Amino acid sequence: MQSHSRLSAVEEDYKMGRMRFLCDTERCIDCSGCVVACKEGNHVPVGVNRRRVITMKQGEPGEKSISVACMHCSDAPCIAVCPVDAIYQRADGIVLVSKKTCIGCGYCFMACPFGAPQFPKGNVFGARGAMDKCTFCAGGPEENFSKDEKQLYGQNRIAEGKPPLCSAMCATKALLAGDADIVADVYRERVFNRGSGVNAWGWSRAYKKE
Amino acid sequence: MRHAKSLIFIGSNATEAHPISLQHILHAKEVNNAPIIVVDPRFTKLAAKATEFVRIRPGSDAAFIMGLINEIINKGWQDQEFIRTRVAGYEEMVEVAKHYTPEVVEDITGIPAEQTRRVAATLAKNRPTSLTWCMGGTQHHIGSSITRSFCILQLVLGNMGKSGGGTNIFRGHDNVQGATDMCVLSDSLPGYYGLADGSWKHWCRVWDVEYDSIVSRFPSKEWMNKKGFSLARWYEGVLMEEKIESPTPIKAMIQWGCGSNSNSQYNRVVKALNKLELLVIVDPFPTIAAAVTKTDNVYLLPSASQYETSGSVTSTSRQIQWRYKVVDPVYDSKDDYQIMDLLVNKLGFADEFYKNIKEVPEDITREINKGMLTIGYNGQTPERIKKHMESWHTFDIDDLQAKGGPCDGDYYGMPWPCWTDEHPGTPILYDISKSVKEGGLPFRNRFGEVTTYVMTGREEGQLAAKGVCNPGSEVQGGYAEFKDVVPGTNWKTDLSQKTIKTALDKGMAPFGNARARCVVWNFPDQVPIHREPLHSPRPDLVAKYPTYEDKPNHFRVNTRFKSEQKTDLVKEYPYVITTGRMVEHMGGGAETRSSKYLSELQPEMYAEINPRLANNLGIRKGDMMIIESPEGSTIRVKAFITPRVDDKTIFLPFHFAGTLMGESYLKDYPEGHAPYVVGDPGNTVTNYGYDIITQIQATKDGLCKVTRA
Repeated sequence: MQSHSRLSAVEEDYKMGRMRFLCDTERCIDCSGCVVACKEGNHVPVGVNRRRVITMKQGEPGEKSISVACMHCSDAPCIAVCPVDAIYQRADGIVLVSKKTCIGCGYCFMACPFGAPQFPKGNVFGARGAMDKCTFCAGGPEENFSKDEKQLYGQNRIAEGKPPLCSAMCATKALLAGDADIVADVYRERVFNRGSGVNAWGWSRAYKKE
Repeated sequence: MRHAKSLIFIGSNATEAHPISLQHILHAKEVNNAPIIVVDPRFTKLAAKATEFVRIRPGSDAAFIMGLINEIINKGWQDQEFIRTRVAGYEEMVEVAKHYTPEVVEDITGIPAEQTRRVAATLAKNRPTSLTWCMGGTQHHIGSSITRSFCILQLVLGNMGKSGGGTNIFRGHDNVQGATDMCVLSDSLPGYYGLADGSWKHWCRVWDVEYDSIVSRFPSKEWMNKKGFSLARWYEGVLMEEKIESPTPIKAMIQWGCGSNSNSQYNRVVKALNKLELLVIVDPFPTIAAAVTKTDNVYLLPSASQYETSGSVTSTSRQIQWRYKVVDPVYDSKDDYQIMDLLVNKLGFADEFYKNIKEVPEDITREINKGMLTIGYNGQTPERIKKHMESWHTFDIDDLQAKGGPCDGDYYGMPWPCWTDEHPGTPILYDISKSVKEGGLPFRNRFGEVTTYVMTGREEGQLAAKGVCNPGSEVQGGYAEFKDVVPGTNWKTDLSQKTIKTALDKGMAPFGNARARCVVWNFPDQVPIHREPLHSPRPDLVAKYPTYEDKPNHFRVNTRFKSEQKTDLVKEYPYVITTGRMVEHMGGGAETRSSKYLSELQPEMYAEINPRLANNLGIRKGDMMIIESPEGSTIRVKAFITPRVDDKTIFLPFHFAGTLMGESYLKDYPEGHAPYVVGDPGNTVTNYGYDIITQIQATKDGLCKVTRA
């Protein structure tokens, strides 16, 4: 990595990347390696799915799969609806929850367009337990690498300078994670290689190409 | 594969069985714009990534491939120069292929004639093609013919010995290639030496033991040269219900890392397991064999996993890597070397067994280096393998060669043949564009120098044409294998390896420079042809393409072909049954069904059934179905209604075990060691049927009956 030692702390912050996931559906093969890596590495209980692979048109021409987790939205609706301000966004865009603050009301689940917030099994009314979701492998609000953090949220690979487990494990490098600019560059290069007609919606109609 | 201009997969669902390979397959698709053709009875997850999906009737692969060959030749797309200089028996093969017109292929395979024409054109116009097959190609009674047809297709297109071409058969586990090379089989000594007297004597020299002491371990010498039972039918040797060519029944068995539910005819397997006088299971998990045996003569030896031991492993691409131990074996488990050591000591031949082996596992690798000259396992010393592992970063991701650094010039993992401890390894087999010393290779001279074909009476030289050889070869053209450099030995048996070095110094391959043959005169079908599956859904085709005569003493067991092929079976058992893998589970599933996260993802045994067939049979989503084989075995499984299969085919994953028709074996596992998920084994209902040469089980093209449970 390039050294930015001449920059001030504020400048460093400003230069810090904006973390992003992107799943390249041309490459996702529905192997669920990301799901198992996430669960195994963070000791997520059975039944709680921080990440899952969705397949559309299974067994038919046009079958596509996509790996979905918390999208760490820029303007995250979960943050907006949380009545106790348990959810917050870091400077690098990662959205995290404080499990010690969360009251398990489930508003965030209703607000989330991706079904990311998860609740440990329990009764319907008020006993869901604290919300759990993808942390981008960045732990939680507790001190980095503390026992508390590990127990409540799993690994903190971002603080170790590593990418999230799911994308690190992805066999086909379909699941990209990291600085949004770099992710965009990687994806753009792939799209160029494939030829612009391959993915663009409406291309075949516009250019009458089969 | 990254350099392929087109790819064809037939009988391979690499996305589920070999997910990591997809990064290279998709690289070829995206960067080279390579079309991907997937030929399969199912619209698999691999088909979802294909540019062309070809739905084929199970067991008709040879007809389709011979049809492609015929179409390619009719259009004049064959590689004339490659065929003239490096292929034998071409004319005889062409005569046979003529029968398979696109229309005939359509009748046999169900593939529209137009599609066969289109696929042939795609392959012809996008060379080189990388061809991959897996168990979908081999597990048929004509599996040996089907796989040969794949090779012939690549010869006709001139795709052999080229980067991006070749026949890339994906192996099923991380070290299956290594296990194959060690010939963990009943018909060969390690390194494909066979069972001839000379082979035994060669290995005795390698092991440094007296030949007579090995002879003395057999009841009489003749048994040293006879094939044993195969994995597909060992249980017949226990049951003794078929005609057996063996002096005594099998009484004891060691299953070392083997999930018995991957055997077809599983009910007979269970019966045999219960009849054994002694069963020893060596495995990290108690396999289903431990649960289904009701006898008390079963011993479970907990073995360590791959992370708790070290040694060399060989990959699909013949590359050898060193695996380092991460942690010591946990609990009471021991690694395979320790278990073997205890066994050998108890049996009392440790002195001979460990004569060359003082440092484990390095000395085992050194013994392989010393003896397995046939396939060039001699240059991959433990020191070199470890050096490669430590220098990963110096190898080029694209051509696998180290550019500078401690392994300069080597290909990663020294793919065999690696002829000397200075040879870089052979990254592409049969590539004559490079010198042999630099990793090039001609075709092997294995079958004499001249042959007269029975089919036509034509005589043909088997050596490569004049002028065709690797650069720097002393003989400009074909040449025979090297022998008598050291009197009385050849390149395979000269332990001083002087023969190999002499050949290399002349710029030549130790095993000669010959032609690849399209006619295999020692096989019942000299050129691959279609034969209907034993249990065929097309009685009309059975008359036209019948199976073989029955084969007595096939790996010691009488094996039925003609007498098993009954044309009226389809009336009662109207649907084709085929099996395969799912990405979450592995083999018999003892390991993966004991992982809670994998079990969560695939918690249940199921059968895939087409929506149309399900509706016709009154089966709804979530219903249980009974599947019955012509042998009368049944399983009870959940219906998974999906258009992946067509309306004549049922697909079963084969990873499950632990229940059968409502009976659970969970209580029969040692306490706390039962897997998280169980189900009826798919192989209970896979049909009778075995390959005519290899005796591999035919699990991909049987028949069955389906009813709502």
